[in-house]
Parts: sequence; structure tokens; C-alpha cells
Amino acid sequence: MKKRIAGIVLALALSASTLAGCGGTGGTSQTSAETAAAETAAKTEGAGGEKTFVFGDTTFNAENDESTINPHEGYSGWACIRYGVGETLFQLDDDMNLQPWIGESYENVDDTTWKLKIKDGVTFSNGNPCDGEAVKACLEDLVKTHERAAGDLKIASIDVNGNELTIKTSEPNPVLFNYLAEPYGCIIDVSAGVTPEGMVIGTGPYVAKELVTDDHLLLEKNPNYWNGDVNVDKITVRTISDGDTLALALQSGEIDAAYGMAYKSYPLFTNDNYTFSSTATSRSFYCQFNFNSPVCSDGAVRKAMAMGIDKEGFVKTLLQGYGYVGKGAFPDTLSYGGQNVNTESYDPEGAKKVLEDAGWVDSDGDGIREKDGQKLSVRWLTYPSRQELPLLAQSAQATLKDIGIDIQINSTADHNTICKDQSQWDVYVGANVNAGLGDPANFFSTHCLDSSTKNRGSYHNDNLEKLAKELEDTFNKDERGKLAIEMQQQILDDHAFIFCSFLKMSMISRKGVTGITAHPCDFYELTADLDVN
Amino acid sequence: MKHYAVCRLLQLLPILFAITFMSFAMMRVAGSDVVEQKIENRGNAVSQEVVDAAREELGLDKPFLTQYFTWLGKMLHGDMGTSYVSGKPVFQTFLTKLPGTLLLTATSILLTIVLSIPLGILAAVRQNRITDYIIRVFSFIGNSMPNFFVALLLMYFFSIRLGLFPVISTGTSMKSVFLPTLTLAIAMSAKYLRQVRATILDELSKEYVAGAKARGIKFSVTLFRSVLKASLVTIVTLLTLSIGSLLGGTAIVESIFMWDGVGKMAVDAISMRDYPIIQAYVMWMAIIYVVVNLITDLSYRYLDPRIRLGGMKQ
Amino acid sequence: MTQEITVRAKKVKKDHVKARLIVLSILVGILLLAAIFARQICPYDPYAQDLSISMQPPGPGHIMGTDEFGRDMFSRVLIGGRTSILSTLALVLIISIFGTFIGVLCGTFGGFLDSLVMRIADFFLAFPGLVFAMAVAALFSGGIINAVIALALISWPKYSRVARSQTLANMENSYIKAARLSGDNSAQLIFRHILPNILGPVLVTAMLDIGTMMMELAGLSFLNLGAQPPVAEWGNMMSTGRSMLQIYPWIVMSPGIAIFITVSLFNLLGDTVRDYMDPKNSHSR
Repeated sequence: MKKRIAGIVLALALSASTLAGCGGTGGTSQTSAETAAAETAAKTEGAGGEKTFVFGDTTFNAENDESTINPHEGYSGWACIRYGVGETLFQLDDDMNLQPWIGESYENVDDTTWKLKIKDGVTFSNGNPCDGEAVKACLEDLVKTHERAAGDLKIASIDVNGNELTIKTSEPNPVLFNYLAEPYGCIIDVSAGVTPEGMVIGTGPYVAKELVTDDHLLLEKNPNYWNGDVNVDKITVRTISDGDTLALALQSGEIDAAYGMAYKSYPLFTNDNYTFSSTATSRSFYCQFNFNSPVCSDGAVRKAMAMGIDKEGFVKTLLQGYGYVGKGAFPDTLSYGGQNVNTESYDPEGAKKVLEDAGWVDSDGDGIREKDGQKLSVRWLTYPSRQELPLLAQSAQATLKDIGIDIQINSTADHNTICKDQSQWDVYVGANVNAGLGDPANFFSTHCLDSSTKNRGSYHNDNLEKLAKELEDTFNKDERGKLAIEMQQQILDDHAFIFCSFLKMSMISRKGVTGITAHPCDFYELTADLDVN
Repeated sequence: MKHYAVCRLLQLLPILFAITFMSFAMMRVAGSDVVEQKIENRGNAVSQEVVDAAREELGLDKPFLTQYFTWLGKMLHGDMGTSYVSGKPVFQTFLTKLPGTLLLTATSILLTIVLSIPLGILAAVRQNRITDYIIRVFSFIGNSMPNFFVALLLMYFFSIRLGLFPVISTGTSMKSVFLPTLTLAIAMSAKYLRQVRATILDELSKEYVAGAKARGIKFSVTLFRSVLKASLVTIVTLLTLSIGSLLGGTAIVESIFMWDGVGKMAVDAISMRDYPIIQAYVMWMAIIYVVVNLITDLSYRYLDPRIRLGGMKQ
Repeated sequence: MTQEITVRAKKVKKDHVKARLIVLSILVGILLLAAIFARQICPYDPYAQDLSISMQPPGPGHIMGTDEFGRDMFSRVLIGGRTSILSTLALVLIISIFGTFIGVLCGTFGGFLDSLVMRIADFFLAFPGLVFAMAVAALFSGGIINAVIALALISWPKYSRVARSQTLANMENSYIKAARLSGDNSAQLIFRHILPNILGPVLVTAMLDIGTMMMELAGLSFLNLGAQPPVAEWGNMMSTGRSMLQIYPWIVMSPGIAIFITVSLFNLLGDTVRDYMDPKNSHSR
């Protein structure tokens, strides 16, 4: 009996597979065609009744410490502000200046006292008023729970009088309101609490309805929005960490717009069916020299390298033109940007001369220069998680070889451990947002000073330290800009850094989507302007 | 039988222990720092105090052995710690990834069986005829293509050229499981149908087949009743081994198709140096190895009386 | 009569296999020569960039086109082949020698050593190769060596098992017993009697393993756990070219087809060697 059953089962399997072999392809294609048709129908219907929109983003994930939309947690504030759930007191315009948002105005009373006025009639999406008390409660919770906020803001006390707040800081903090424009500064209704999934109530045009970390976020129109009409009824933000998948999804129409597309996929979308919105950001790709390295401690080598990297070719060809050639630490779009400083440009012949004058010559004919028995071999430490960095490494490797410098690339996720040991590398190449909040101080204080945690190559300059002290106590914006220019020039004169390029950030949307605009600070993506037709 | 099973299990248990220790030690030696990496990914700088506080919170400032035994003790209570990256419990994260891998395992094994057994039998029965050659050529091609190449080709034709299947996998939908399943089944079927064919040929050359023919029993009856049953041992062993490796998650296929399973979890965790998740993955792989070995041994003894008797002598 | 026909058929078959063996050996030989002399053969410097000709489709100047840096794909595929093929051969050589050595020792001496080594083998078999590759990557400076070491760690037990069971089978033979009685020590026993007898099965296993190992190595590189750019290696060339599949398919297809052809050749050769060594040779498998 058992045998018979086994026989029947096998016979069935055999015939089933034969059938599958004959009709498989036809059957599947029909089904999928039908489903596709059904989907299109659903979409049209959706457009007629209520407007829906699907947004694909590569960065909304736990890996970026953005697992929720609660601004008081890690970098989750980025999701809160980008997807239009939360808003900050002031927002950064395209020139990175502060403009009113929830806040109406602020005023500096003395070195440690600020007066802030909040707009009347701002409400949270649950209908609660966003008044002085609510802002105070939110800021106090922020300082208490967020790991970076307390140190950045240095808030000592907050007094409320209606919609006017008096904020006292424990020490002078000229950039208090710039920091409050950081995504963690999103004003949320603290009394409404945070759901277990990490959803909060903000003042923005959209309300979070469902959140699954690393997968998606469902948003609905905020019926109580205080600042005008909202066009789109339902939004799905999909986390798609892989750039290739993102491109395919936009092509197939599974998403309507995308953030974080790989450069290599751009040619697919440079046609009438898609719209690009691009802008210059202050995210720079830079080389930071190790001043204790046997080769890079030589100023001539650093200078020659600055002259031997083809920034133009890198940006034009490898970044498909979606980038800006860097000169100083800040992009030309800022008043204190690279247009104010002088540095070497790409000049291979000049670089060779610099090296020769310094005694670096190729005596053994292998194409690489030597001096006192030391080979001109530079260990280039970088990491692959930013797609531009490995491209930059390979491009520089080729152009520097032409002037007789051998580049040994070490591109590893382990770069942070390795860079602590200065005997392991000669130049560190990374990416950093140099003026994310519209103020230059942060870059210098984190990368260039004796006290900086990211002064990886032990760079030191007395004049720079002096200027930095001055910057700390300068409240006037123009004065700060002047100091920033002077400091950039000092760094470039010492050839401590090479600023290769700045990121041109792009969002791509399909035809019919309007109101998606890229902003230099990279904080604002989905706003009330968004519309689909 | 029971005695044998217990013996094997006792032999294999120390391996589990050794593996937990090794992997724990290795992670510490590998030692890149997740705290700093996390910050670097954002491209912003923070102060040393923030870094130290985060490190202390994760227990990274304690000596190695303390860290190990703390971890082991907790794990025995079902607490595998929290992911460095997402901050969520490891065990829970792991459980959310498991269904994806289970589904993919089930579908690809099924498709492999459906493809390889009938084709293998067909090739054996039609040995050295045109059908046999065609089947063998296909199996050969399937055997010589790396699965990431197969995956890219399938993606290119089915998703890009024909637009038949979605590129974003949406969990359990049959449409999104198709391409990863096909990728895995192509490679496995190619391997198995060779084995099936060889096994069947071995059996067919035995005297009882000729005897049955002489007695006038229909060839199909002999084939299904006797030959297949005798070949079952080989096929079952192969399948068990494959299920084992599939359950571990197929890192490449899962990451190409963005399939949210154990393999992709492992690859992501490795690139992020998320030790607790890597630990859980190593544990899972070790458990699979132990269980699969046990099952193969036992099924051998059950299905093949010769081994069963031989085993008793030991 | 039937006996005679069978014998003849076997002889014809054997000749046929021999012819196949020769042809395939020549083809594989050519492949190896191409790998060894890749640097001399390739028409362009595989690392020389020319951004002005990036992403050129296959044409007369560059028969496989150029990549994003304007490097010649044909030269890169050749140099990549050198990396892939030579590291695979090194890997298989290392694991087959080491694994066999361990296996023979276990089979000859047995006892505690045997069970200890077999448990260690279990340990390595149960450990995921991905994680090894990651750990090795952190200890060494990275590169294809990571993938080679990781795969070596998890693959040697296969050879130990083959060698061990073959040794055990041989130990039963009367000539070994005779050799023992005549006073041969263990070393003599191993080198004179056991090794020559088990070499065949080990060689067949190794030949059949080359294709698999090559794909595994490329797979690790594909996951960025092996060779790192700019080093040309088929797996990482496909991994970096992956996003260009739609627009510039030749960047993925060239190394892909190269892997396919190479693995096919080694697999065919492996099969043929097995058929050739198979004393029965009653049917090709």
C-alpha cells in the first residue's frame, strides 16, 4: 500500500512538472499582466478620489540611527522633519540663514540671555495649541533626553510669558538658534507622548499613522494644519536601502519620488518623464593629512597632492556632474565659502616641480619618486559606505601616479579604529557636513584644533587656535564669516586638508509630482507644497 | 536508535559551546567600534563624552571574559542582548527575519524537487539519448554559473526587460518570492538532477531490474516501486543538507533581491559590525549544522537497513 | 560473446574519455597561461584611467568596452582572471594538501587524536564562512586573501573526511598488514602505501572543487568581503558594475561570462578526470 502511494505521489510530481514546463511561462505572464492592470486601475481611482504618494528613501533606517520619528532620540529627528511631521522654531533658507517658522523672532539680550517670540495660532496635529508652555516642555524634554542637545544648546533655564520665552544659557552660545534648527529641534507635543513604535505629534502638514522601522512610514494629511492647505491625502515613505533597487522601483512606478539615488543610475532619469531637484550642500569630501606620517609630514608632498588631484574630472565624469569642485571648507553658495580663499588647482606639471624642488626624484625608474631611501608611497584610508569615496580614491590613485606618487588604498568599514593608530595611514579621506546649520564654527572645532576629536592627523597651528577662540565669543554674523574665511585660508596654506568636492544633493520625481524641492541643509523633503497630478 | 541519537547529540553539543566562545572572541579581536561607526555614517562630529557614554551603555568598556560570561548567561535565559545598530532586542529581530527565510527555503526546495527528480529520472531512463544530453547540458550550465550572476540575469530579463515581477520585495507575496526562488532552484536542481540520474542509473544496472523485466513486470512499475525507493536515501540526504544551508539564509540571493531574511540580516550586520546580531547568526548556523547532521545520520539508519545493522555492531 | 562486447565498449569509452581529457587539458592549459601571463597579454594597462572615454560600449578599440574610469574592460577581465584563477588554485592546493594530511593522520592513528580532529572539523564546518571572512578582513589588511583564508578554514574538513575514510578502507587491506608485520613504521606506511593509494580520490575531489571554490571566492568578493577595488577580480567587478546593469550591461556581462566559461572548463575537466580514474567506467555520470 505504502509503495503504491509513493508511486502515485511521484507520478503526480512528474506530471505536474511537465505541465509547469509547458505552460509555466505563459501562465505567469498572464497573471502578472492582470495584476499590473489591476494596480494601474487602483492608482487612477486613487488619484480621482484621494491623492496618494509613495516616497523611496535610502537613508531612513536604523543604520543611520533613524529608527523612529521621535526627534528626541538619536538622529530620528531627521525623519520627523523630512517627512513633514515636525517643524522647528526657525528654518534655514537657501543661503543657510534663519527664517521664521514656528518661531516669529528672536533677540539677543546679553551674552547668555535670549528672547524668543512664538507665532500665534500654531497648533499640533491633534488640535492642541503650540504655545510658549508647549515649546518650553518640548525643549526641556529635549535637553534631558537627547545625547547631543544639552552640550550643543547649553540651556540653563527657560521662562515663559504667554508666547514669549526667555532662554538663559550656561555660557555664551552665539549659535543657539542655529542649533535649534537642527532636526532634533522639532517641536512636538510632549503631553501627547510617544507611541511604542516611536511616533510623535508635531505641527507639520502630515500625521504619522503607522511606522515599521527599516520598512515604511504611513502618513496622512494633517486636518488641523496651521500654515495653509495640504494637497496630498496619503503618503507612504518606503525605506529602500539599496540604490539599485531604488532606481528600479522608480522606473517601474512603484514609487513616485526618490531620495538617495546612485549617480550611476542618473542617466535613466534624465528625460522628460522625470524631474530632478538638485542643490549644493555643504557635505564635503575631503583629505585630512597625518602630520606624523613619514611622507605627509613633508609640506611639499601635501602641496603636490593638492595639485595632483583632478577634482574637475572627478566631479564631471565620476559624479556625472552632480557635485561641485571644492576649494575651501565651505561651498561657494555660502557668503564665507570657497570663493574667498586661494588654493592650488589641478596642475600635474607644477606638482612634479614642487616634488623635485623638495628632493623627491625617481632614481630607480619605477615611476615612483624617492627621497633619502624613502619611497613616495601614501596610504590612503577611506570607507565604502559613501559611494563617492571609493570613486575618489581610485581617481586620485591614477592622477597621483602620473606625478610619481604611489597611493595604497585602504577602503574599509573599520576606518575609525585604524585612524586612531597614526602609523597605519598617511591621509584620511572622508565626508562631513561642514556647515549643516548655516554656521562655520562646528567644522573647525571638530576637525582642526588641538581639542578636536576628529583632528585625526594631529594638525596644529597657533594662529588657528587663536582665531577659534575669537570665533567662540563673536556674535556678529558678518564677523563670524570673516573669521571663518581667515581660518580656511590658514588651513589651506598649511595644506592640512584638501577639499575635493561638495555633494550636489538630488531628489528625483516622476512627471506629475510637484513641490519636491531639494534644500542645501538637506532637512526639508515632504512639505505642504507637495502635490500629485 | 534513541541511544545513538543521544550519543551523537552529546558529541555535537561541545561544538555549540566552542562556537559561541570563538565567535565572541573573534568579534572582539576584529574589534572595530560600532559607536564611532554609527556617528561617522551620519557625517557629523560629536564629543568624546558622548562616545564614551554610548560605549559604557553597551558594556564595551568591560574586560573580555566578563563580557563573554554576561552574554552567555543572558543567552541561556533567552536574552541575546540588543542590536548595536537598531537598539532592538536581537532575539526579536531574528524572529522577524526568520519567516522570510523559511518561506524562501520552502519554495525553493519545492521547486528543486519538482524540477530535479522528474528530470533526473527522465535523463536516466533515456540514458545517452537526445533528451538525456539536453537535460545534462542544462544541468551543466546551471552548475557553472555563480548564483549572483544568475540572479542578475533573471532580474535583468524578468524585472527590467519584461517588467513581470516587482523589484521591491513585499514580504510574503508570491510575486516577489518567484525570482529569488528560481535563482536558488536553478543551482540546486542542476546539482541534484545529476545525482538523481546517477543514483537511478546505479539501481537500473542492478540484477533485480533485469530479473523483473524477465518476469514480464512493466518497466514503469519496477521504476516507481523499486528503483525509486532504493534511490530515496541519496535524495533525502541531499535535501536535508540543502534545507540546512537554505535555512542559514542565502546571503547573496537575499541581499540582491532585498529579501528580508536571515542571510541579508547577516550581511547587513557584518557590514555594520553589529556584534550581537552576528553572534545570533553564528549560533543559528551552528544549531542548524548540529540538527541537520543528526537528522541525516538518523534518516540514513532508518532508510537503509544495511547502515542500521552495521551501526548496531559498533 | 557478451563479455567481449562489453570489454570493447569499455575500451572505446576509455579512448573517448582520454581524448576528452587531452582536449580539455589543453584548453585549461591555455586558460592558465593566459592567467599567468595576463600582464603581458593585456592590450592596455588595466589600471590606467582615462575619464574622457569612460563607459564606452564594446567596439573596435576596446572589445569589451570601458568602465566608469575609462579603463579597458578586456584588460581588466584578463587581470581579474589572473586574480580569480590563481587564488582559487592556491586555495584548492592548500586545503587539499592540509586536509589530506590531517585525514591520513586520523585514519592511521585513530583513537583520541581522531575524534578530537573530527570535532574540530565539525567546528569549522558549522561556522559560517561570511563571519570568518569578516574577522579575517579585520586582522589582515583586506583583499582577496580574506576570502581565501575564510574559505580555507571552512573547506579543509571535506578533504580530511575523504582522506580519512580512504585511509581506513586501505588499512583493512592485507598488504598494509603485511607491511606492518615486516616492520614498517608509521611514516613509511603512510608515504609508501597509504598516500599513493588515496591520491586518486583526493585528486578527483580537488578537480571537482575548483569550479565551486572559484564561484565561492567570487561570491565573497561580490559581498565586498574579498578583493577590494581597484584590484580587478571577477566577483568585485560584477559587484561594482551591478548598478550599471541597465545602462551599461557590458560592465557586468564581461566578467560574468568569463566566470561562466572558466568554471565550465574546470568542471568539465573535473568530470573527465573522474571518469578517467573510475576503474568501473561503466557509465558516465
